[in-house]
Amino acid sequence: MTPDKSDVLYGTLGLMVIKTLDALGPLHGYRIARRIEQISGNQLALNQGTLYPALLKLEQMGWISSKWGTSESGRRVRIYALTRAGRKQLHNEEAQWQRAASIVERFLKISENLS
Amino acid sequence: MTRLRIFLFRLSALVRSRQMDRQIDDEISSHLAEATEEYVQQGLSPEEARWAAQRSFGGVTQTKEVYRHVRSFMWLEELSRDVRYALRTLRKSPAFTTTAAATLALAIATNTAMFSVLNAVLLRPLPYRAPEQLAMLWTEDPTQNLREGRSSLWDVEQWRGQSQTFADMATFDTVSTVLTGDDGVEQIIGVSISPNLFPLLGVQPFLGRSFSTQDAEQRQRVVMISHRFWQARLGGSSDALGATLVINGFPSQIIGILPADFQVARVEADVWEPHTTHRSVRGGQTWFVVGRLRPSVTFDQAQAEMSAVARRVNDQLPAVERNQGITVVPLSLYVVGPQSRLALWMLGGAVFCVFLIAAANVTSLSLARSTGRAREMAVRAALGANAGRIVRQLLTESVLLAAIAGVMGTLLAFGGIRLIRAFGPGNLPRLNEVSLDLRVLGWALAMSLLAGILVGLAPAMTTMRRDLRPTGEEGGRSVSGGTSSRRIRRALVVAEFALAIVLLVGAGLLVRSWWYVNDIDPGFVPERVLVMEISTPTTFSDPAQRTDLYHRVLEQIQAVPGVESAGIIDDLFTSNPREHVLTVERVDGTVSERLRLTRDEVSADFFRTLGTPLLRGRFFSIGDQPEAPRVAIINDAMARRSWPGHDPVGRRFQFGQRDSHSPWYTVVGVVGNMRRQGLEREALPQIFVSLAQNPPSRSVGFFIRTSSDDPLAMAGALRAAVRRVEKNAPIFGVAPLEQQLGTYLTQRRFQTSLLTGFSVVALLMAAVGIYGLIQYSVATRTQEIGLRMAIGAQRGDIFRMMIGEGLTLSLIGVALGLVGASWLGRAGSSLLFGVTASDPLTFTTVSLVLMAVAIAACYFPARRAMTVDPTVALRVT
Repeated sequence: MTPDKSDVLYGTLGLMVIKTLDALGPLHGYRIARRIEQISGNQLALNQGTLYPALLKLEQMGWISSKWGTSESGRRVRIYALTRAGRKQLHNEEAQWQRAASIVERFLKISENLS
Repeated sequence: MTRLRIFLFRLSALVRSRQMDRQIDDEISSHLAEATEEYVQQGLSPEEARWAAQRSFGGVTQTKEVYRHVRSFMWLEELSRDVRYALRTLRKSPAFTTTAAATLALAIATNTAMFSVLNAVLLRPLPYRAPEQLAMLWTEDPTQNLREGRSSLWDVEQWRGQSQTFADMATFDTVSTVLTGDDGVEQIIGVSISPNLFPLLGVQPFLGRSFSTQDAEQRQRVVMISHRFWQARLGGSSDALGATLVINGFPSQIIGILPADFQVARVEADVWEPHTTHRSVRGGQTWFVVGRLRPSVTFDQAQAEMSAVARRVNDQLPAVERNQGITVVPLSLYVVGPQSRLALWMLGGAVFCVFLIAAANVTSLSLARSTGRAREMAVRAALGANAGRIVRQLLTESVLLAAIAGVMGTLLAFGGIRLIRAFGPGNLPRLNEVSLDLRVLGWALAMSLLAGILVGLAPAMTTMRRDLRPTGEEGGRSVSGGTSSRRIRRALVVAEFALAIVLLVGAGLLVRSWWYVNDIDPGFVPERVLVMEISTPTTFSDPAQRTDLYHRVLEQIQAVPGVESAGIIDDLFTSNPREHVLTVERVDGTVSERLRLTRDEVSADFFRTLGTPLLRGRFFSIGDQPEAPRVAIINDAMARRSWPGHDPVGRRFQFGQRDSHSPWYTVVGVVGNMRRQGLEREALPQIFVSLAQNPPSRSVGFFIRTSSDDPLAMAGALRAAVRRVEKNAPIFGVAPLEQQLGTYLTQRRFQTSLLTGFSVVALLMAAVGIYGLIQYSVATRTQEIGLRMAIGAQRGDIFRMMIGEGLTLSLIGVALGLVGASWLGRAGSSLLFGVTASDPLTFTTVSLVLMAVAIAACYFPARRAMTVDPTVALRVT
């Protein structure tokens, strides 16, 4: 495995998608994929295909909705938008992530001090 | 909430699966186009840009696969695909499909039909409230070998008063009942009950009310009628309530109608009437007693208490009346006795064995087929199907096959159930309740599923174990198709033979019992004898009038052309004789004792008519008139019991206690024992007294020996003869004596013929199984056989090799089966008669038959093996 690119953590793809839709508004699949890659500074090895099952899952959960539309280049594409439930979910998950991250961070710091 | 939402989402996706497939295709191609465009803008050539776009997207097919998993119930889609595929495969090999489905359908049908009987007779609770608390209470006397003895009302009153474990006890008995209608008189079935019986059973009348204690105490003439009687006789009209029936000559008011199919214990009655339970003297022990346990009291506790009660009651009785115990038996065990239970479980087990053999055969068939399909499986594996997927496919196929068989089998079973209801043994209790209910359908479903899994499992397992690749490369020139599947098929044949011999031994033992039972001398000659029962009209209140009537009828009957002789006895077949106190002048002095015996009034010609042999003394004669000294004839059992080693002729006895004023009888003759409780039961002591000297019963049986082989053909003429004497005497129970005797054997005939049928089917299936195996073995080993012959094997060697293979397998099966059979035989030994469960003759015969069948089944394929032409066999690749 290449050390500089990490696989997308399982389960975090969904969070990234709704965060993206929250930040940029409704987007089609390819734009979402590109955005995630850009934000991660091309650090994530995203198999763009894996996005679609993830989108479907989010839609089943009721966090995003989709409808057919047109892309900037005039192609027929499916456009995804965050729902109210999705926004609530995003806030929950953000808070959880922060908490988890800060715990891990603190833990790592202590370990560093000890060593 | 979310769960439901996902479910609905997936459900809608399932319906629109094609449309959604198109959508994701469109979406992915747009995605790729956008990406390509971007790469082009970055300066790549269109070709390179397309490759780059696909690389960053990843596998399109995998994506769609995952997508479909998320989208809907993947397993359901796969299942429908598997089912469609399985249907195609099954249709492609109609011979296999038909054989396998028909075999399984038959097995499922017989199992379902048998289960419906088990379900109705054994499993369904009795149709009373909380039936598990109901018990029969019997008077028992171990010294008299008295079991299931009836009780007197006085006894029951004591028991009720002293018992803490029983909430209540009720009594009932059948009573001779004559109904006078517009078109004459007839005998119907009446039951006299204590008024608390229906509340105790928890039975509500369908219409009207139950009996009250006042009805009984004030001796009101009120009756309740059965639903069937109501429908048949009174047209099911609600006017029936309050209407009047003339019963035994007295008008009685109908106060209630019982629910359809209601019976008290085993009695199917037309009318019920109440009786008072209070008795100041002990009286006759003629009553059946049913009790309801208090909640959470066990039968053991009740039995312990009743045994103590019996001892206390005994203490109040004179010495000669003592030595009585009480037994408490769950009502369900009384309604369907242990013999019937055992027989039904045995038949259920047998039919399940047939099912297993059928499943083994079909498994063997499908194993042979799956070896032939090895290449198909290899291709599937090469295309990316994992082992689990292939196993699922194979299981789908077999379950589908079993489902087809299950539907056919259930339809067949439905027909079978109607046959059982029509032709099953009439004296098997609750047979009328047999039906195709939910539980039976569930059983059919379970059997089908089990069949599907059993049949599919072995091919699936061997497929999993086999390395899927090489077969495809070998091009079919394989070693006789998968050693593991060969091994399984051989094991299946062994199992089939083991099961078949268990069934055959069981059937053999029952058939032998049947021969013995049929060889029993009942003590009379039933051929060409017609039985006809006659009641006296209620106007004949004086016993002398009855005696006169019977004699006049007898005269008329004897005058009918074709009648050789005729005799009278009040009741020939007595299922449960009473106990009598008897004072006997023995050789060593006069003693009073309690004896279980039958006492009947018979006419002078009775024994001659029935062909019962006279062992000593004489029959009754014209001289035995009412004013002459009273005489009696006893049977051999009575003679041996009371005057062992001495000639009883000329000895005297009296009914009742020594100092009672009942008349003394002198024994004038001894006759052979008659089996009057069915062929399989030893004769009890029997006393016959002269009809001329003793007051006769209200109804008696006429036994008429005719010159015709079809005595029933004379019934019309005989009825006319009776009518000429008295047109108001109900005539009933007209039947050939042979037929009456035969009813005791119907259950045994049912068991024997069913088990024989099952075992013949098992035998045939085992034969087919071994034939198929050897046949297949020959077909797949053609090259080997050719090679063996090319290097010098003789045709005889080849023949012996193939026969030997079959013989070894069947020998192992037979050996295993015999062990099982001797073990099971002991468990079922109470069903046998005259043979032991390890009867050597049966075991040897059956083993020989089975081996002969095995050899016969192997003979034809082995012959084919002999005719293999080595040059042809080796050339063909």
